[in-house]
Amino acid sequence: MAVFNRFETAIDAGIGRRRLGYLLLGLVLLFFLWFPNDASQSNYAKTVFISGFFYAIMASSWALLAGIAGQFSFGHMAFMGIGAYVAGLIARDGFIIAGLGIQITPESISAIGAIIVGTVVAGLVGLVIGWLLLRLRAAYLALFTIAFAELFRIAMLTEYDYTGGSNGLSLRPLIEVAEVDTARQIEYYLMFALLIVCLLLMYRVVNSPIGMFLRAMREDEDAASALGVNVVRYKILVFVFTSMIVGLAGAIFYSDVGSERIIPEQLEVLQMSLIIAYAVIGGMESLIGAAAGAFISRYMLEAMREVVITLPFGLTMADGSDAFTWETGAWRFALFGLVMVFTLRYMRNGLLYPIINWFSGRDLVMKKTVSKRHDWDDDPAQLEGRDE
Amino acid sequence: MSSAIHLELNNVSKRFGGNQAVDHVSFSVTKPELIGLIGPNGAGKTTLTNLMSGMLKPSSGTIYLNGRRIDGLAPYDVTRAGLGRTFQITRALSRMTVMENMMVPGLALHPGMQQAELEERAHEILDLLTIDHLTYEYSRALSGGQRKLLELGRLLMLDPAVVILDEPFAGVHPRLQETIYGYIHRVHDDGTAIILISHDMGAVFELSERLIVLNYGALIADGAPQQVKNDPAVIDAYLGHDEDD
Repeated sequence: MAVFNRFETAIDAGIGRRRLGYLLLGLVLLFFLWFPNDASQSNYAKTVFISGFFYAIMASSWALLAGIAGQFSFGHMAFMGIGAYVAGLIARDGFIIAGLGIQITPESISAIGAIIVGTVVAGLVGLVIGWLLLRLRAAYLALFTIAFAELFRIAMLTEYDYTGGSNGLSLRPLIEVAEVDTARQIEYYLMFALLIVCLLLMYRVVNSPIGMFLRAMREDEDAASALGVNVVRYKILVFVFTSMIVGLAGAIFYSDVGSERIIPEQLEVLQMSLIIAYAVIGGMESLIGAAAGAFISRYMLEAMREVVITLPFGLTMADGSDAFTWETGAWRFALFGLVMVFTLRYMRNGLLYPIINWFSGRDLVMKKTVSKRHDWDDDPAQLEGRDE
Repeated sequence: MSSAIHLELNNVSKRFGGNQAVDHVSFSVTKPELIGLIGPNGAGKTTLTNLMSGMLKPSSGTIYLNGRRIDGLAPYDVTRAGLGRTFQITRALSRMTVMENMMVPGLALHPGMQQAELEERAHEILDLLTIDHLTYEYSRALSGGQRKLLELGRLLMLDPAVVILDEPFAGVHPRLQETIYGYIHRVHDDGTAIILISHDMGAVFELSERLIVLNYGALIADGAPQQVKNDPAVIDAYLGHDEDD
């Protein structure tokens, strides 16, 4: 501990924690930019990274919705699905709005156009759901969104003539055939750029007055309202904003960037639970924490599909081999569950929170303000009512 | 603070099922008075506060603030119209710092103001309330009394014409009570009307210029403290009456 304290003092006196944090963040970004250029990396590894970026968007946007704004929704994957399905259906069948004289044929719309329509529709559904949820809190909100998500999944599963049912729906590829890069570099950079853009957008919201109002709403809706915060407006706004982000991410990911088709299985509550778990493990009140939690968890879950164990002390298996492969396909989720249980019991702010908090240097700011104390601060009667 | 104050309640009633919580209450506040709102437990004080602040909608009657009808408005709109309130049980935004607690009303009410300007104002208020050393502390780490002060501080960020203080002295240390007394005098001197709800009769009689008394939801007295103190209806409400009388 003394070594760490000396290290901490040296950092504080020298480069400063925030700068060190930005430096490390820069190195991480450089690593991700370099990764697909490493010829030794397989397409499979890059696909795992692309999937990691997608889930990082899902988890960080859920962190904004639930961790920062306090809207504990299970409908996040459904909004992602709306973006993907609408983009797929529009590109395949087109659409007509007779009243407005709008007619879009499959030939007249590009993959990007379909993705934009999918994103907008996800936002519009978010608007309706946000409005319906205005008076619902806590468990009722969660139950409502579970019902909504299941309703959407069953509709996609049942309407197989349109959606392909359990076989899923192929979206128009975003990257044209002629441009397909067998090394999956374009797809990799596209998804990575989308993650960065989404994080920057959400970061801007969180660090604006809106972010402060969302946190006030999370803490106590009545108190926030009494302080002049238009709770209704911000509740709907956060639903629309996060719905559009995941709708966009879903439409792009399933446009043959990360996966070639969207299937209803992806919309199951279990999948939504995984998104929540990623955010909780990383830190659901931190966008970076949730994104990193999702990426690392996805990577670990892939890496742990099978584990090769080399026997020690010259021991051998019956067939003479000195190693055996442990099929951890199912066990990895059990281990993941254990990590989640540990996090919720001992580190409710997420496993990455202490690191993020240290780099933020918040304790240094607090040290400056505790010099002035009043004698009644030490009165035991005054200590009553303090939270843990 | 505000130059014009006109809060007017006309026949305001609130019924919860068979319970008449507030029964045709009418009164008006036309100057920056310090008004005590008292009554036995269950008299309807908190319900009336919730009706004035938009937390509840009246079953009947109207409420006007500076010419604008505020009954039926959302609480945030009532706050923006110029009426601020505290809660009987303090409602600090726990996982936000003291400064953030101050900035929420500041930013909500004054979106055009520079953040630095608002922060400076928040520092001044926290200094006045003697909790400036806790500026960057999470409010969940504050004691019950400090949270009361924080709630009072947040009110000042709203720059209200009328404030309702719901039990500001409940469970606070005597020395902290002095700070709250100072706060009330300062806000009053600045030209804000204060409606003070408290079971601490000593404090209410010492501070109030006018007393409004509720019993079973109905207004039974409205006048100067000495006059109200000797009102038979008030004595009856607090002490009860002999069955033979």
